[in-house]
Amino acid sequence: MKNSAHQIIEQDCEQVLTGSVEQLGGMRGETLLITGGTGFVGTWITELIAHLNDHYQFGTRVKLLSSQESNSRFMAPHLGVRKDVEFIRQDVRTIADLPVDVTLLIHAAASPDTRLHASDPLRTIRVITQGTDAALAAAARLPRLKRTMNVSSALIYGAQSWEVNAMSETYSGGLLDCSSMLSSYAEAKRVGETLVAAYRNEHRLPIVNIRPFAFIGPYQRLDRPWAINNFMRDGLLGGPIRILGDGETVRSYMYASDMAFWFLRILLDGVAGRSFNVGSPVGIRLKDLAEQIGGCFPVPIPVECRGLIDGKGKRSKMIPDVGVAETLLGLSIKVDLETAIQRTLLWNQKQSGKNE
Amino acid sequence: MKKILISDPTLRDGNHAVKQQLTLEQVAAYAASANAAGVPIVEVGHGNGLGASSLQVGMSLLEDGAMLKAARENLTTSKLGIFLIPGFATINKDLRPALDLGVDVVRVASHCTEADTTQRHIGFARECGKEVYGVLMMSHMAQADILLQECRKMESYGAEGVILMDSAGASLPFEVSEKVKSLVDHLNIAVGYHAHNNLGLAVANSIAAAQAGAVILDGTACGFGAGAGNTPLEILVAVLAKYGYNTGIDLYKMLDAADVARAKLVERTPVISSASLVSGLAGVFSAFSTPVERVAREYNVDPRDILFELGRRKAVAGQEDKIVEIADELARKKSRGTPE
Repeated sequence: MKNSAHQIIEQDCEQVLTGSVEQLGGMRGETLLITGGTGFVGTWITELIAHLNDHYQFGTRVKLLSSQESNSRFMAPHLGVRKDVEFIRQDVRTIADLPVDVTLLIHAAASPDTRLHASDPLRTIRVITQGTDAALAAAARLPRLKRTMNVSSALIYGAQSWEVNAMSETYSGGLLDCSSMLSSYAEAKRVGETLVAAYRNEHRLPIVNIRPFAFIGPYQRLDRPWAINNFMRDGLLGGPIRILGDGETVRSYMYASDMAFWFLRILLDGVAGRSFNVGSPVGIRLKDLAEQIGGCFPVPIPVECRGLIDGKGKRSKMIPDVGVAETLLGLSIKVDLETAIQRTLLWNQKQSGKNE
Repeated sequence: MKKILISDPTLRDGNHAVKQQLTLEQVAAYAASANAAGVPIVEVGHGNGLGASSLQVGMSLLEDGAMLKAARENLTTSKLGIFLIPGFATINKDLRPALDLGVDVVRVASHCTEADTTQRHIGFARECGKEVYGVLMMSHMAQADILLQECRKMESYGAEGVILMDSAGASLPFEVSEKVKSLVDHLNIAVGYHAHNNLGLAVANSIAAAQAGAVILDGTACGFGAGAGNTPLEILVAVLAKYGYNTGIDLYKMLDAADVARAKLVERTPVISSASLVSGLAGVFSAFSTPVERVAREYNVDPRDILFELGRRKAVAGQEDKIVEIADELARKKSRGTPE
């Protein structure tokens, strides 16, 4: 019997697929391999495919390649016992060959955890650059490969200028300091995109590139060093919700079920060789986000601005222009931020048994 | 008026000055007076932080829990803070019980190039909903760009601010300005400074830090601390006010708290002895002064020579065993009549 936390996932999958199942029809009968497959992205894509298989008889098989393979470390153990889901324990940097029955590939192996980037920049760079090279080389040898996707990052754009409302895929206004080890993740992802272009050129790999922005949803760990995660965690602990800075920084957040749908849709029908932003185009100030989260509890949780005593802080913005995905593929946001926050909080409460 | 958050480690760093022998009565008395003065954060514990009581760095008269409890009972508006160095303090044995006793503020420290060691403790304290700061000790030993990288690690771990600690009192004001400004310009969290007075520059360095953008400053009553002592808090509060900064501390009551410290805590007002001055010049951790002087007497060598050699070898806290090693070498050279 499914627990109530998982029922939330099921409801989310059904909601995002309502009226859109056949847009993913290209998944029927295919075998999808996801590198870094046991992370947040891989887990949600697997949930969506499991739902398609269970309710719409898609017959898609999923292979999750990860250096952390065992069921006990997978965020969703119920997926690990499914016959249509297979784990492959493998370090992406040393991939030699991939299973020959793979027809679709999503290369998502990398950690977006800034703590790791700061503490182990060399490993961060190697996993991304060596891993991308190895994965694409192996993909190029797959006899039945139809489509490939490289999961890059919005950080490749550098800092968004405050005067720019949203960054399109051609944005080049941000600067990265390539001489700083703090740029390890972003610079490695940029090299990853160059590798994509090279493999497309030399091996004619049918590959599309996506640049994810920020997401929120079940399965995302609340100890991750991102504002919305920290706000939710502070709220679930009883508050106050603490903002480091003055809260004027602007971010946007896409819900996980939308994220999974967009990823698969772009994989299937995105024009090879193109890059697509994936994220919510609706920005929100962190201060407003914190207050919105605080208001989700029976007794509203207060918000505090900390860390900058004179009330002033550095502000930044990171908002995607998703016009390309909307126009070319008809993609849209189905879950608004308010719902995304409520669903995520509810899932976390159910996971911890506080709201049974 | 710009605000400065004052953190007062009189009952922690000051513990070095009495060889970790602060009593419950002393903790309670000073905590009450600091609370009355409106000191925002009162830091309590062994001089080397939570869990540090040991033969190596000094056995504490009181257990950590007893000190924290005594302080907690006397802090009604001031926050109770602790300082810890991963390795001395573990999460389950030391940090968790301390948080259960009502600690509000946690400072997690490492050597200035070892911020990686602070990740778990910062993360744990943050997950428990506490105010958490990272501290880089012996900050004179690293350049500004390295300090920035290490502070960025702490920021990514969840620290709400970072404090540069001039453990050896070795820095000059222009160095403080450069390093603090680099952090202020590039970090999204608060920056603080903790000075020591080995070169007589503690207050000046603290002001330099404030003018470079630091918003957190440390000081102890009467400069109570190891060797040449810390920044005298009552002087710092007064000078900050003269510069136009707002600490929120009542000056008269802070002077009263300094009187309490003078009467009940401080056996002698810190002076810049020749050993302290040399440790500042050599860049050696201030708390080394006492064991250096003791060992120097035992081996009949000049403590200043030991300190300069410790500085040359870049000794850091935890490497107190080098004191004996160096003293022994110096004594042997002396007995052989070899020029040093």
